[in-house]
Amino acid sequence: MLDTAGVTASARQRRPLRRPGARMLVRTAVVAAGVLFVLLALPQLLSLYYIDAMTQVAVYAMVALGLGVLVGRVGLVSLGQVAVLAFGAWVAARLLFATSLPYPVVLLAAGVITMAAGTLIGLPALRLRGLYLALITLMLAGAITVVLATTNFPNGGHGFLGYNGSSVHIPPIRRPSIAASDPAYFRYSVVVAALMFLLVLAHIRTRPGRAWAAIRQSESAALAAGINITLYKLWAFALASFITGVAGGVLAGAAGYLYSIDFPTYYSITLLAVVLMGGAYSLWGAIVAALLYQLLPPLLNNWGVSADWLTILFGIGVLQVLTTAPAGLADQVPKDLARLGRLLLGLVRRLPASGRAAR
Amino acid sequence: MPSWQDFQPFIVSGLALGGVYALSGVGLVVLYRATGVVYLAFGAVGAMGGLIAWSLINAHVPDWIGWLVCVAFGAAVTVGYGMVLGPALAKRDPLVKAVATLGLTLVLFGLMDLLWTSSGGESRAITLPTDNHGFMIGQVQANWTQVIGLGAGIAITVATAAFLRYTKLGTAMRAMANDREITATLGVPVRRVEAAAWLGCGVLAGVAGLLLADLVALDATTLTFLVISSLAAALIARLRSIVLTFVAAIAIGLIHDLLTPIQALTNYRDMTPFVLAAVALLVLSRRSVISLSREDA
Repeated sequence: MLDTAGVTASARQRRPLRRPGARMLVRTAVVAAGVLFVLLALPQLLSLYYIDAMTQVAVYAMVALGLGVLVGRVGLVSLGQVAVLAFGAWVAARLLFATSLPYPVVLLAAGVITMAAGTLIGLPALRLRGLYLALITLMLAGAITVVLATTNFPNGGHGFLGYNGSSVHIPPIRRPSIAASDPAYFRYSVVVAALMFLLVLAHIRTRPGRAWAAIRQSESAALAAGINITLYKLWAFALASFITGVAGGVLAGAAGYLYSIDFPTYYSITLLAVVLMGGAYSLWGAIVAALLYQLLPPLLNNWGVSADWLTILFGIGVLQVLTTAPAGLADQVPKDLARLGRLLLGLVRRLPASGRAAR
Repeated sequence: MPSWQDFQPFIVSGLALGGVYALSGVGLVVLYRATGVVYLAFGAVGAMGGLIAWSLINAHVPDWIGWLVCVAFGAAVTVGYGMVLGPALAKRDPLVKAVATLGLTLVLFGLMDLLWTSSGGESRAITLPTDNHGFMIGQVQANWTQVIGLGAGIAITVATAAFLRYTKLGTAMRAMANDREITATLGVPVRRVEAAAWLGCGVLAGVAGLLLADLVALDATTLTFLVISSLAAALIARLRSIVLTFVAAIAIGLIHDLLTPIQALTNYRDMTPFVLAAVALLVLSRRSVISLSREDA
């Protein structure tokens, strides 16, 4: 169990549950305004280069969300989520070439098939705990990468694999007719991502969320409380795989062409790094993680800085998170800002006070 | 199906590869038993050591200095990490400790890509003088580097097993594997014993990096993730038995290379360690156990 939070997590858990009230309403309004801004204004403000980058952010926000459910809610660490994403993208691409099903149906199918595969693997793997589970997901990710390198992604060929290596004019993977252009596809992916966040929120607020929290605190206590540990762990696995599969479907349309070299094993490790840095305990953390992961590289590229610096930064970030800031940036930055605010407020208050004292 | 003739050369190369995996796997197991850390940066440390050695040798420094620097780099980085971050994470879950070493992996990986860029398609290689001297086993050519690979694997396994069994430091390490607190109470200098384990593991990382750079390829990504193969061997032994680690490593190396001439499977041969480790782990942990202790995974 990854207790990155250590003491803090239990302290957070002990916080009394608040009734949804005015605060909740304000929060919902802010989130809704944020989503509307991203949907309506952002595509107008950004160049195509950054719109493409933001589409990737939407995709990886979903992947980070899935990993966040596993790491932050249940305490299971998966080092193979990018391989799951590649699997979802493969399934979606195959369906898009083979059928003329509407795009949302394909996304759903990619999610469900990935979920089935994830659950099938998860069922035996869940007998392993903590460290061993993390390492076996790393192994499975490695295996999926090897298989993908041989089978390749579908590109309109025939047969089960649908790979046509000799084809010169390869058609791109199709997009939904309502979202053919890049800005439109960006909006489409944001809507899909928002739906996935709502799905997870619905889980966290209800029975599964409480069961996961209990399991994360102590498996034996959860068992004693009558929680079906295997069922809820598997549920988390299934949910994360489903979201990642859907994300794979969105990625397929965004990329147009998929190549197995785009999904190296170490991306899964970097992904875990950014999820831990962003904060695995909060849904905001997934967005922070995706921004770190997919917006920073094109930004740095624009400024002529090598993306290798980011890899180094993420490495240092993981060490920092694990040693000092367990809940990640999503938790740390508001806290630090509040501290800074209090400090400034204190200074402002002290100034007139000391002035009076001097007089 | 290829004939026996076709398989023979791959037995030699497979044994050599398995030997180096064994050496790495033993290093990982010893460190895990002494400190509870699965050192996932093992491959990255070795790879960077290999690249530094390559740069030095290219700058006309005598070869042996390059090799020494490679091993010394592995030892220095590993001991440094262990001394700086080891205490901060000592009381955390083994999983947290393992994930933290991924942080080190990313730092080294980024540095390697920055300093020895691979985008130009440049190929680097380390050649040991033992590459060019060989002998025939039946009809198969074997070179001395391959012999060193297998020999080092066997030697390290035997030496480590004896070390843990018969020396005072080895006994202390085994005691710490059981219970760190009680061992400390008994007056064992816990930090010093841990430092020794980190040092041993770091030296092995450097040696493995050098040998793999010669036997496989000197490439940051390849070498960094070869640790997964050694880790697979260690996992099959459940991070406990050194002898089992050796056997598993040899099996992984042999099966990997023996699949090469088989047309239908050759593209999938890199899956060998993953599949073997996954199957072994799943079979070994058929029974689901709930335990109250966090240490016992």
